[in-house]
Amino acid sequence: MTRALTATGKYLSLVVASVVTLLPLVLILFGSFKTGQEFLATNPFTPPESWGNVANYATAFTRGGMLRGFANTVVVFVAAITGTILVGAATAYALDRFRFRGRSAVLGLFLLATLVPGVTTQVATFQIVNGLGLYNSRWALILLFTGTDIVSIYIFLQFVRAIPRSLDEAATLDGAGHLRIFFRIILPNLKPAIATVVIIKGIGIYNEFFLPFLYLPDPDLRPISTALFAFKGPFGSQWEVISAGVVITIVPILVLFLLLQRYVYNGFTSGATK
Amino acid sequence: MFLHQRRGRLAVASTAVALLALTTACSGGAEGEENTTGEPGGSLTVLTWRTDLVEDGTFDDYVERFKTTYPAVTDVKVEGITDYEGEVKTRMSTDNYGDVLAIPGSVTPDQLGDFFEPLGEQAELAQEYRWLADKSFEGTSYGIPVVGNVQGLVYNTKVWKAAGLTDFPTTPDEFLEDLAALKAADPGIDPLYTNYKDGWPLTAWEYYRGGVSGDPDYVNQMVTWDDPWADGRDHEVIDGLLYDVVAQGLTEADPTTTNWEQSKQLLGTGKIGVMLLGSWAIPQMQQAAVDAGGSADDIGYMPFPAQADGTFHATAGGDYNLGINVASKNKVTARAWIDWFHHESGYSESQVGLSPLIDGATPAALADFVDQVELVEMNPAPQGKESLFADIDTASGIVTTDPKYRQKIIDDARSGARTKQQVFDDLNAAWAEGRADVDA
Amino acid sequence: MTTTTTGAPGPVDAPAPATRPAPSGAGRGARRRRRAVPYLFLLVPVGLLLLLTYLPVANMFWYSVTDWDGLARTKELVGLDNYVEIFTDPDNVRVFYVSLYYFLASFVQMALALYFATVLSFRVRLKNLWKGILFFPYLINGVAIGLIFLNFLKPGGGLDTVLLAAGLDALVRQWTGDPAVANVTLAAVSVWRYTGLNFVMFLGAIQSISSDVYEAAEIDGANRWHEFRHIILPSIRPIVGLSFILAISGALSVFEIPYVMTNGGNGTETFVIRTIWMAFNRNMVGLASAMAVVLLVVVLLVTWVQRRVVPEQEVDLT
Repeated sequence: MTRALTATGKYLSLVVASVVTLLPLVLILFGSFKTGQEFLATNPFTPPESWGNVANYATAFTRGGMLRGFANTVVVFVAAITGTILVGAATAYALDRFRFRGRSAVLGLFLLATLVPGVTTQVATFQIVNGLGLYNSRWALILLFTGTDIVSIYIFLQFVRAIPRSLDEAATLDGAGHLRIFFRIILPNLKPAIATVVIIKGIGIYNEFFLPFLYLPDPDLRPISTALFAFKGPFGSQWEVISAGVVITIVPILVLFLLLQRYVYNGFTSGATK
Repeated sequence: MFLHQRRGRLAVASTAVALLALTTACSGGAEGEENTTGEPGGSLTVLTWRTDLVEDGTFDDYVERFKTTYPAVTDVKVEGITDYEGEVKTRMSTDNYGDVLAIPGSVTPDQLGDFFEPLGEQAELAQEYRWLADKSFEGTSYGIPVVGNVQGLVYNTKVWKAAGLTDFPTTPDEFLEDLAALKAADPGIDPLYTNYKDGWPLTAWEYYRGGVSGDPDYVNQMVTWDDPWADGRDHEVIDGLLYDVVAQGLTEADPTTTNWEQSKQLLGTGKIGVMLLGSWAIPQMQQAAVDAGGSADDIGYMPFPAQADGTFHATAGGDYNLGINVASKNKVTARAWIDWFHHESGYSESQVGLSPLIDGATPAALADFVDQVELVEMNPAPQGKESLFADIDTASGIVTTDPKYRQKIIDDARSGARTKQQVFDDLNAAWAEGRADVDA
Repeated sequence: MTTTTTGAPGPVDAPAPATRPAPSGAGRGARRRRRAVPYLFLLVPVGLLLLLTYLPVANMFWYSVTDWDGLARTKELVGLDNYVEIFTDPDNVRVFYVSLYYFLASFVQMALALYFATVLSFRVRLKNLWKGILFFPYLINGVAIGLIFLNFLKPGGGLDTVLLAAGLDALVRQWTGDPAVANVTLAAVSVWRYTGLNFVMFLGAIQSISSDVYEAAEIDGANRWHEFRHIILPSIRPIVGLSFILAISGALSVFEIPYVMTNGGNGTETFVIRTIWMAFNRNMVGLASAMAVVLLVVVLLVTWVQRRVVPEQEVDLT
């Protein structure tokens, strides 16, 4: 009896949670296929008259600069992820494989930095980015994504430690230098760590709003998040078009999520616990 | 040990330097090349608050025509900015705020020279353009208004007629009664709409100052008072009206969900009775009315509900002023754009504004209004006191150019956290403190 | 290049490098070069760390005692004036109060996440479907979430429609317009967004418990509650501690949701919205820096207290 009850309770809570999660998304999806008149006149729960009405999507793509937003996001993503991997792996390699003066100081610096929330320092960081002449340039984002990601460094540290030192030593015996060891042995063996970082960081970059909002006002350089935000201004009265813009930003991440589910979960669990 | 540390520090320093060199080298290419030919040419970046005109292609047309006039101009990039004041202010912390831009309202007169290129002697330019005083400092002009505005209230004529209202209200109380009548005639409408969330439309309320009393020296007087929110002075009247209209529930029920583009539609279709906006708003509202199947005649313009000596007054002055970024690399072309914009673009005619040109005509849509209302042009501050108002305004923490000032009044009127008198008392105290701080 | 040659006093909890071939006939130059290797690898990472984290923090402290407007070449020292200003202007203090809503919300979020993680760690039909649905909101862009909920919560929107249909008319509110509920609404949106992340992290920790442990417990006659109390809870304690710290800095760095949904109006202004406005719209970089310093101190303090109260095995960094 109690068993049946708990089972019912369990499924009931899951269904409720799923409805709460999905309902706002479904209504946006409905809205995105409605015409302007229809959107104002019908109940939010009424499905659109025609699921073939893609006019809003066309507007969002052509006038909202969504494609350009995706392209800009990809450019920043590729550059920042490359930078993050190199920086993270190099740090991890140096800290794990060598004992040198100042090592504990460096470790301490990285540890302490995890306690400083990035947003608190943006007022001062802004001055530095501007001083470097990077305001309104993609490089501002790339630099900030690359240079302030300490979590990735920790992930790499964990994984470098797991690479057997005998591999390094064998390579040293073959006359390989440190750079060669780094690129030929360490990096290839860090693939699982790289996958984790790519996933966590990729989602972070795709969703980042604050940094491009602050540093990248140029409409030609806007990534997807600020493109969507800017879109809301002139289209403020056309919620059916805004809805389409929202759906457009969700679809790619949904597809990637469905394809890479296992990696995504692993990325977050290993990224978080290590 | 010591040596090692030093070397470490050196290494760090050199990394920073290397990074700096690397990154600046990378970004160098992004900026336009300096135009030193003395002739308009090359590329230009224009920042504008009119996202709607960027969106509907009006600016594309401007750019095409400008390039026809100046074939050496290769590219004009127009950036429409929704939160214009906020974003441009941020960008002004850098050199990167376009070549031509509208001068944000919160730039104080003494800062003009730090950010904007002088356009000429005020006295000389004044032979051609009106309303230069606002963006001039010590005899030099830094901006020219794109169009002239009168400050009144834009309303839906059908809605007012339906409620049986024909005459312009002459006092704030009468105005409140009228709004209540609008609500009674059709409970589904918002008699007055504040556009709280977008914020900037609230700053328009500031420019009735001087119009209420009909005193062209109101601002110059205000800097000598410790209590502008008392004795029936303009600020007391304006902010008192705002407080009352909100407290009496005559504004939009949920101010956090307002939207500028939507407000145009709502006024055009008679879901809103009236909005307090400069005359620049008229054509946009008319367009919205037409788009919704109505006619341009559905939109009317009335003076602020207050009379001095039995007459309505309205301030007339410049809208946004175009200026040139002092760090611009293409100032010649920037200047050409400004001159072209004022003389050739047709912007001011299309906006049903008063022309910024001395010999420009008064548009038909405003003729009626101008007949019943005496226009007041505010006198500039006396020499040496150009920045006094702005200094007190900033030091007091009120900052009349910031929407927060009136958003707070709305918050209090809705929640009752402060009474109207408490609001006035706090504002007077802050103003007096601001005056003391700048030794006025 | 072994530990002994440099004599570094660094922590040596990791197994010391196994013996390596002695530098065969290499001269002093080669040895020095090898000694420089770790520094070279660290040059860029540490340079970036100093440039983008420590330099801003240092500058922030410096700006905070000046009246700098972010533009002028000179800054006047004003001592602690900015700090006095922070604590005397109620609007400044308010942002810390607003962040309490998000902080409290993060406990709701963790409780929900823990509940669903526990439920899904046992046998459930359609496990992957539930897991995917619960996690998905975390993957959505913050701006999109703000817009989704503007649409959902607007007067006459989805939520109102549901309430009316259920006969709960009395519950209908102006979800962002009523000052009494605006912050609760926004914090709830934040819970909607982030529960999935907590949930997946908790679930990962729970699933890393070997099934032998459960079997042993079941043989001992433990019921589900006992399993939760004595097996699951201890195993996820470190991750709960981590979530707690993330909750604090998260609560203080809330930006997108209130910015998109209310623009900080109606008493929903958060720390980030206010400092950005202060530093750039009002050109009070000094004051904004002082706000940031206060915030940083709060974060460090709470983290320290948390570490003292819930001592856990030291995070292993080396």
